[in-house]
Amino acid sequence: MAIFSKVYYFNMVTQGHQSHVLIIGAGASGSVAAARLAAAGFDVVCLEQGDWVGPADYMSAQPEAELAWIERWNPDPNARRGLADYPLTGNADVRPVMYNGVGGGLVQWAAMWQPMLASDFRVHTLDGIADDWPIGWGDLAECYAQVARDMSVSGLGGDPAMPEMDPYPNPPIPIGKIGRVAAEGMDRLGWHWWPGANAIASRRHGNLQACQRRGTCMTGCPENAKATPSLTHWPSAQAAGARLVTGARVAGIPVDERGRVRGAIYLDRDGVEHFQPAQVVMLAANAVGTARLLLLSASSRFPDGLANSSGLVGRRLMQHPYRTVTVVCEDPLDSWQGPWGQVIYSLEFAETHPDRDFVRGAKWMVMPHGGPMFAAAEYQEAHRHDGFEAVWGANFHRAADEVFGRAFTWGIQAEDLPEDDNRVTLDPTMCDSSGLPAAHVEYRVSENTRRMLDFNVARAVEAAEASGAVSTLVRDVWPTGIGHVLGTTRMGNDPQTSVVDRWCRAHDVPNLYVIDGGVFVTGGSANPTATIMANALRVTDHLIEARASQEIPA
Amino acid sequence: MSGSGPTPAQRLTLDRLADVLVPEGRNMPAASAVGVSEGLLDRFLDAAPALAGPLLSLLDEAPAEGLEAFVRHLASQRHGDFGVLSTTVVGAYFLSAEVRRLIGYPGQQPNPLSVASEPDYLDMLERVYERHPGYRECS
Repeated sequence: MAIFSKVYYFNMVTQGHQSHVLIIGAGASGSVAAARLAAAGFDVVCLEQGDWVGPADYMSAQPEAELAWIERWNPDPNARRGLADYPLTGNADVRPVMYNGVGGGLVQWAAMWQPMLASDFRVHTLDGIADDWPIGWGDLAECYAQVARDMSVSGLGGDPAMPEMDPYPNPPIPIGKIGRVAAEGMDRLGWHWWPGANAIASRRHGNLQACQRRGTCMTGCPENAKATPSLTHWPSAQAAGARLVTGARVAGIPVDERGRVRGAIYLDRDGVEHFQPAQVVMLAANAVGTARLLLLSASSRFPDGLANSSGLVGRRLMQHPYRTVTVVCEDPLDSWQGPWGQVIYSLEFAETHPDRDFVRGAKWMVMPHGGPMFAAAEYQEAHRHDGFEAVWGANFHRAADEVFGRAFTWGIQAEDLPEDDNRVTLDPTMCDSSGLPAAHVEYRVSENTRRMLDFNVARAVEAAEASGAVSTLVRDVWPTGIGHVLGTTRMGNDPQTSVVDRWCRAHDVPNLYVIDGGVFVTGGSANPTATIMANALRVTDHLIEARASQEIPA
Repeated sequence: MSGSGPTPAQRLTLDRLADVLVPEGRNMPAASAVGVSEGLLDRFLDAAPALAGPLLSLLDEAPAEGLEAFVRHLASQRHGDFGVLSTTVVGAYFLSAEVRRLIGYPGQQPNPLSVASEPDYLDMLERVYERHPGYRECS
């Protein structure tokens, strides 16, 4: 079936057969595109540098579950050092984290499902800062609803802080003891809160089983109750003919004499080079990986990197700098129990307010507090400036005695605004195991963001007190990120100030698309997966609809 | 666990270092008393094998006397090495069935959700709805 009008082949011994669309990355956005394109009859190939993972790989059902964070399931690739990981170098106040494998970051995500605010798409118009998106909330509304169904989201509609949305497919997960205590505090203060929406099945739905509250969401759900593309998208994509090549590390994206991309060169697990030709290439490797690939694909025609005539590839990295206030209560809350998504959230301070010394805002969410090792680590971190005696020796047992099982966390994620100097480049010396340059990340937390976080932390302490907390454990900005990497290939109407257009097609290369979080113009304060997946669906549907006019390589 | 594993001398040193960090108190046993240098250590290193080399080097480096000063020196001057030691001790300690029993931790066990009953927070949610000004409109 010829979807596009021309099919070309190259005379390379190791090349695969021509695909209509080549997707690079099998995570949140790539999985959406693959399933949609395959269902529409396109010949789809996806290259994924990692492997399939599932319950057999997780430590979550073992007594050693809490130790999974240390190495095998550490979200930081520099600590995990998996075969599919590439090093991250540079000086970053917040170091990006990611997972490389089928499902991408959604293997280790907390499954918090949070569409962006309507105002997030218009921050320049409303607040006079950064830039507006070339699309609005309404352009994503239907796609938000579809991907929520595909991801078996459990949640409650009707939040007045959000535009009207279709009901979620599953009822919300009970807010439990910790949600109840937190909500009572917010109720006393008259502040916004709402039951959390999570891509965790509160009942059996699609390919997901009902949540068992094991609380190991971020190190792998052994019950398959948490949505991840290996469960939600790849079964249907593969049934429709999509081909997923794992262990395929892309080394470059070559172009023809007219500047159209021809496919991708990749290295298999043995280091053997292959060429996968394609008529269209969609990059879905996350905002760090995609920027790295575009820069790796510099050529005589694109000397500064593919699709980089604006000079913006790799710039404007956003990460949602994150602080926490752990609320320690008198009564037992059994707070090692999951799910470790968001039981409730608050958008009380998510919008700009004229009386504050910063613009934009932060989203809060209540989460459980893990097992005793996590409690001890939190206690130690919160008291790290108080000296050895505060947490070790005779005081070591205070963490288990006073905090473990009696605490929950208000997580506070800030909207960091795009800045050109927060960027991804290629490391000049360090390489990954295939000899490709590492990603070099420079990232500073701005003064606006620090003020925003200070303000929100102070309010969260007030919320804790209103909840009857006996104490709080306050942490500074987390030095490792929360897996939200956005903005390095921004969307826009002007080729001089953006990398891709409103359909996420590269201004410079008409058959190259970027569909991951790199296209975000601003980051909002919402967890980005819902928007990444909804936007990938929007863009893919447009590609399908506009297939007749799609330019392809010569 | 890969390799030959810790020697008896290294295990003994770990016991002594571990008790500096986690002594008996608040009705809880000391680290050495629950066997952090024995089977719990082996289980820990099976889960975190990359820490084995740095840990064993640290145990070989520890002096015969003045262990508390050594631990304090690590904590104040050698944060990476202290992290290896403290993570090992704490991780192994909370693997102990006796410790878990004493603090009431069953592990990360399955415990099915019940979503059948009506939520008990609807009154509070009603108040959220009533007082909220609505989302910020934008064209």
